[in-house]
Parts: sequence; C-alpha cells; structure tokens
Amino acid sequence: MKKAMVIVLVMLVAASLSWAAVETPKKGGSLVLCVGDEPPGLDPTASASAAIDRVVYANIFEGLVKVDRDGKLVPGLAAKWEVSADAKVYTFQLRKGVAFHNGEPFNAQAAKWNLERGAAEGTKNAHPEFFRIIEKIETPDDATLRLTLKEVDALFLFRMAEGDSVMLPMKGFENTAAAPIGTGPFRFLEWKRGDSVSMERNPAYWNPQLPYLDKVTFRFIKDPSAQVAALRAGDVDLIGWLLAPELAKEIGKDKRFKVLSGASTSEVVMSTNNKVKPFDNQLVRQAMAHAIDRKAVIELVMSGYGTIIGSHWPPVTPYYKDLTGRFPYDPKKAKELLAKAGYPNGFDATIKLPAIYPYSQRAGEVIADMLGQVGIKLKIEIVEWGFWLDRIFKQKEFELSMIGHAEAWDIGIYANPNYYFQYDSQEFRDAYAKALKAATEGEKAKWFGRCQEIIAEDAVNGFLFLAPALSAMKAELTNWWQDYPTIALDCTQVWWNK
Amino acid sequence: MLRYLAKKLITLVALLFFVSITVFAVLFVLPGDPAQIILGINATPEALAALRADLGLDKSFWGQYREWVGNLLAGRSHHSIHYKMPVFDLIVDSLAVTGPMALMAMGFAVLISLPLGIYAARNQNRHGDVTVMFFTQLGLATPEFWFGILLILLLSVQLGWFSAGGFPGWAADPIGAFKALLLPAFALGVIRAAILTRLTRSSMLEVLREDYVRTARAKGLRERSVIYVHALRNALIPVLTIMGLQLGQLLAGAIIIENVYFLPGLGRLVFNAIGQRDLPVVRDIVLFMAAAVVVVNFVIDVAYAYVDPRIKIN
Repeated sequence: MKKAMVIVLVMLVAASLSWAAVETPKKGGSLVLCVGDEPPGLDPTASASAAIDRVVYANIFEGLVKVDRDGKLVPGLAAKWEVSADAKVYTFQLRKGVAFHNGEPFNAQAAKWNLERGAAEGTKNAHPEFFRIIEKIETPDDATLRLTLKEVDALFLFRMAEGDSVMLPMKGFENTAAAPIGTGPFRFLEWKRGDSVSMERNPAYWNPQLPYLDKVTFRFIKDPSAQVAALRAGDVDLIGWLLAPELAKEIGKDKRFKVLSGASTSEVVMSTNNKVKPFDNQLVRQAMAHAIDRKAVIELVMSGYGTIIGSHWPPVTPYYKDLTGRFPYDPKKAKELLAKAGYPNGFDATIKLPAIYPYSQRAGEVIADMLGQVGIKLKIEIVEWGFWLDRIFKQKEFELSMIGHAEAWDIGIYANPNYYFQYDSQEFRDAYAKALKAATEGEKAKWFGRCQEIIAEDAVNGFLFLAPALSAMKAELTNWWQDYPTIALDCTQVWWNK
Repeated sequence: MLRYLAKKLITLVALLFFVSITVFAVLFVLPGDPAQIILGINATPEALAALRADLGLDKSFWGQYREWVGNLLAGRSHHSIHYKMPVFDLIVDSLAVTGPMALMAMGFAVLISLPLGIYAARNQNRHGDVTVMFFTQLGLATPEFWFGILLILLLSVQLGWFSAGGFPGWAADPIGAFKALLLPAFALGVIRAAILTRLTRSSMLEVLREDYVRTARAKGLRERSVIYVHALRNALIPVLTIMGLQLGQLLAGAIIIENVYFLPGLGRLVFNAIGQRDLPVVRDIVLFMAAAVVVVNFVIDVAYAYVDPRIKIN
C-alpha cells in the first residue's frame, strides 16, 4: 500500500514537473479564427485598411523588418541591418535562399523593385511618402541592399515594418488583391467571398522550424454575439478581433476557453474640431479633459478592459511618455475653466458617432453624461461609416466625434492642420520635425515625448483609452499574441497543445 | 401565351430601366467615397486621387451611368471594388446559398401552414383553432433574427447539433452545407408560416361556405376529398399570391438572418457592399433582385392557371 502511495506521489511530481518545463511546440493541426471585418482586397501595398493587414501581414507577406510581441523591431526578410553615423544610409543584409510562394527568388533586386514601385508616380500605395524619402537604392550583391535617404527619418525602419512595405514578387504581383503571393510562412489557398480566407503552411519557408500549423482559416463574422456563439459551438477556435469586452468575462469563466487581454495600438479619442467655436478655445478643451472620468469610461464601456491614455501614443510603442496624470477627473476644475473661458453655464454641442464601432456609441453616451454634469449638453447623432468618412473626416462638418486611430506611429496627423480635427500648432510641427530628424535614441525619445506633451497640454482631442487587444480561444491553443503592438494577427508561432 | 410573355418582357425592361436610374442616382448622391473607404483614413490625397481615377469615379454622372449600362448590355460583368472579382460570379456564388435557403424556407412555411390552416378552418372557434391562432399571432410578433438567435443558443451552443453559422460550400461538404441552411431556413420559414396559416384558414373558411362545397358534401363525397380536392384548390389562390411575394422577398431580403448565421448569401453581400460603398456590386444586385421579383411573379401567374383552370393567361 505504502509503495503504491509512493509511486503515485512520484508520478504526480513528475507530471507537475513536465507541466512546468517549457514545452516544445507541436506541429500540425489547423486553426479557424474569426475577425470582424472582411478586407477590401488582400493587397496591403494598395490600401491602408487595417482589415487587410490583420489577415495577410506576417502570415502571407513579410517586409524587410518586423515588429515583435514587445513592439520592438526584429529581422524580417533582412537578417540584419546597419545604420550609418549620420542616420542616412541603411545597409540591409537580406536572408539568402528566400523564395516567393510562386518560386521566384527574393533578393536585393526584388527589394529594390518593390521600394521603387511604392515611390513611383501614380502608385496605388496609400503611403508613397514611406518610400519617397529614399534617394538612392544600391544592390552591390544579391543579398545586400543599401538605401540612402534624402534626410534623416527616425521612423524609417518602423515604416518598413508596416503592411504598406511588404515584398511582392516582381512577376506574380498583378493579382495580389485577389490571389496574394508572398514570402510568408503561409501561402494563400482560397478567398470565399463573404465567408473566409484560407491559407496553408509554406513548406519552403526560410525558417524550416516554422510555422507549426498546417492550415489557417480567417472567417469574417461581424456580429459580436455571433462570434461568441461560433466559438462556443466549436465552429471557430479563436476570436482574434474584435471580441466584445462585455462578453469576454463570461467566456473566461468557461473552462474550455481562455481570454487574453493586452494592449493594441488603437487610441480611442473623442475627436474635437479645433476650428469651431467653442472648441477652438484651449480652456474649453482642457475643461472637457477634466470632466471625463476615464476610469469610469473604461469600466462602463469596455467592461474594465483597456488602458488609460493621456496623449496620442500607445504605451506598447517605444518612446511612450506617461501623461495620464495631466488632467485628472475633476468636475469642479472643469467648471472653473469653463467659466474662465466665458461659458459659466456651459453650452450645447453635437457629438457624431460612427455606427461601425459599438464602443464609440457606448463611450459617446457615457461621455455625454459626464460632460452634462459640468454644463456641456451633448446631442448624440449616430452616423454610418461612409457618411462619417465624407462629412466628418473629409468635410469636417462636426464638433465632436469618437473613433479609434488604429495605426502606430501616427502622431504626425497632428502636424497636418487640414486633418479632420484641424489642429494648427507651429510648436508641434517644429517638435515633430525635430523628432523625425533625430539621429540617436535619446533624441528620438526626447522629441517624440515632447510631441506627446504638446498635444496633451493643448487637449487637442479627448484622449480616452487604448482599445484592448482582446482575444478568446480554445484553452489548448498556445502562443497567441497577448498584445498587438502592430496591426497583424500573426499565426507563425501558434500551435495546438493537445 | 406568347403575347403575355412579350408583355411581361416589356414590363421587365421598363422596370429595370427605372430601377437602374434610381439606384444609380441614389448611390451617386450618397455620401461616402469608395476610395477613402478602401484606402483608410491615413491615405495621402495623391493615393486617393489615383484610386478614384482607377475606379472611374472621377467621371460625370452620365459618363459613369453610360459606362455601367453599356457594360451590362454588352454582357461584360463589372469588377467588385472590394472583392476583386466579377460581380456576376459573386451573384452566382451567393445565390447558391440564398436560393436553396429561400426554397427551403418556403418549404417549411408550406409544410407548417397548409395543414395548420386547414385544421384551424375545420375547427373554427374551437380550442384547436384558438391555439393555432395564438401561435400564429406569436409568430407574427416575433422578429426572425431573434428567433434565429434562439435556435442557435438552443441547438448549436447548448446541444451542439448544428454549427452556429457559416457555410462550408456545396462542393466541399454537401451534407454540412445542407445542415448549415437548415436552421436559418427554419427561422425564416416559421415566421412566414404564421402569415400563411392565417391566410389559408380565412381563405379556406370562405371557400367552405360556397355552394359547390355544399353540393359536394350533399352528393356524399368523403370529407377528405371535399377538403383537399374541391375546397383547397380554390382556397390556394390568395395563398399563392402571398407565397410569391414572400419568395421574392426571401431572395432579396434575407439580409438579417444571413448576418445572424454569417452566411455568404445575396443579402449579406449587398448589405456589406452598401457599407463598403462597393458601388458596382450594389447596382448590379439591386437590378438582379428587381428582375428576380418580376420573374417570381411571372411564375406565380402561371401557377394560378394551373391551380384554377378558370384563369387563363393572355
């Protein structure tokens, strides 16, 4: 009897040890994940739509560099790179023996062709400025790419890690939007319109260890409760984007599933038209900043998921400066500032909320209540997305709105006085220009930090919270990304522990 | 018959012309730039202009209209802005989902409503009739998407008998595809059955009071043949009319249920296309739907003549 007990004990200890040990990933299996939006085509070099990057980036397509789980730059198709002392010359050592899914080799010539294509006159790339900063492209040999910039660009490498900068094959690029060919760990199989995009493991991937999965299928399910029903019924293995926060806690309680909550790069802001009265008054904007209880907003709107922000910069991105304490919740102070601005009794205004983001409608209601308490009476208007783009974004017919700005490194929008919130500050433009020209890490941190400070101080927009990267998946799915520091749902290192 | 066909054809062409102008004008003035929706909010003005030119959006109203109709007449299918494939293929693919689903829904509706309606009519104002009428009232008041969600919660999430939505495709998995359409078709069918049951009942009641039914009974025919052979045929005329309208509506408007079950059908296609300002898709599908409604009505007209020989097509 005693002996048996000992044996059982030993077995238990051994079992718990093997749990604790780092497990080696298992190969095989397929993954069905669901995302909310179906992409408008599958070519990330012809659109800045985040829905495209979420499907193809890092899965089918790769760029020279990549962003890792911590938001840092890591090698992509370039195994390593050097930057000259004046920060103008970038020398990339490309990986050798890399081939596109159609067999074409990826080399310095292909990279050069891609960069020139992005910069060309009449390019369909949504961000030609990423490439036009390049003055000269040299290819001393097949594996070396030397780029000379016209001027210093602190964001150049990060730009090269965006979906707009992925590498396409020189011969097989024409049909990228419908049948993409890249160098990534998965190769495109089929796009069932209105339903799914599927891809299979690329057996010739340059890293022979990866990927672990045999097949990945992205299904497009917009309705949050339909997403959860599909997960519960076993039709999908993972909800990658956008899991409704109010449903997340309920799934977390179910032992079959786990919920990951991390940070994304999407700042949800109450966009404010800085050109219309009374929002052109800095005191009014600061009063509003004091009148909003961000903690309560996150609690009420996002069920507690999400991170408070004080400026337009994701905490997961380098050079972040914590400014969340600048405008603490203080309705009394808000009223004082309003009185000082000449509105002792407050005023009436309209907030126009895009219907495609449920969180923005809910946040609008909560904020209308908070601002109402200091005398700013908000009328809520829900508008359709196309209407929002036309009337609010393009024609700037609005006072207040609300939206998540998904791209990382997009603080430059504040340097453009024609951008929809119409913020016009020479001080900011100078600081941003200095940040872009900064050659050292210290300089970059200093000037990007200054940029964040200026717009926080001016309370350009209501800086509310960082949208959470919420995902829910079967408990056996391993190594999914907790934070989303870049716009991608990267399946390369995901595997099934079963 | 030929003259009748020709008349119908002229109606169809006139209607399509009218619909095409309306749809085109509405989409033209609708705020929202397809290029902006595709490129996202951080696109440069230059990239926007290039895409607008590429999509032909920089042309005038008539220029764009002429191009659209010209292409249609020449049998050239437009390319979807969003899906990067010919709209014709998109319609064919999505009809493979919506068509069978609509037919299955009508099948459910008929299977439920005819027996119930006849039963209720024969038991007028008795318990059975009152019960049936109560449930039809409930059916009329129930939104179909809500009923669809209830079915998912019970049969998919709790019992696991069906998948919660999606469509595996006819070629890949015929049985799975059939199963995928069963729940949404049932949800659509039950709600439509509520109307049809009431209609069958009232129509049946009317016919049962007719003299010829009394005659049939007087000459000693069995009740079954009185009901099914003599009465039902005549009672079906108004029911057929409504069924025709319902079928046309199902082909065009299963939008909500297709979103609940995330089926890649015609309704969801056009719904998404409007949101994404995929104008070629919206235009062509609206035209197609208008044509489908006309054709379904034509089939119903022919069916009248079959059910009631007194009605002649001319």
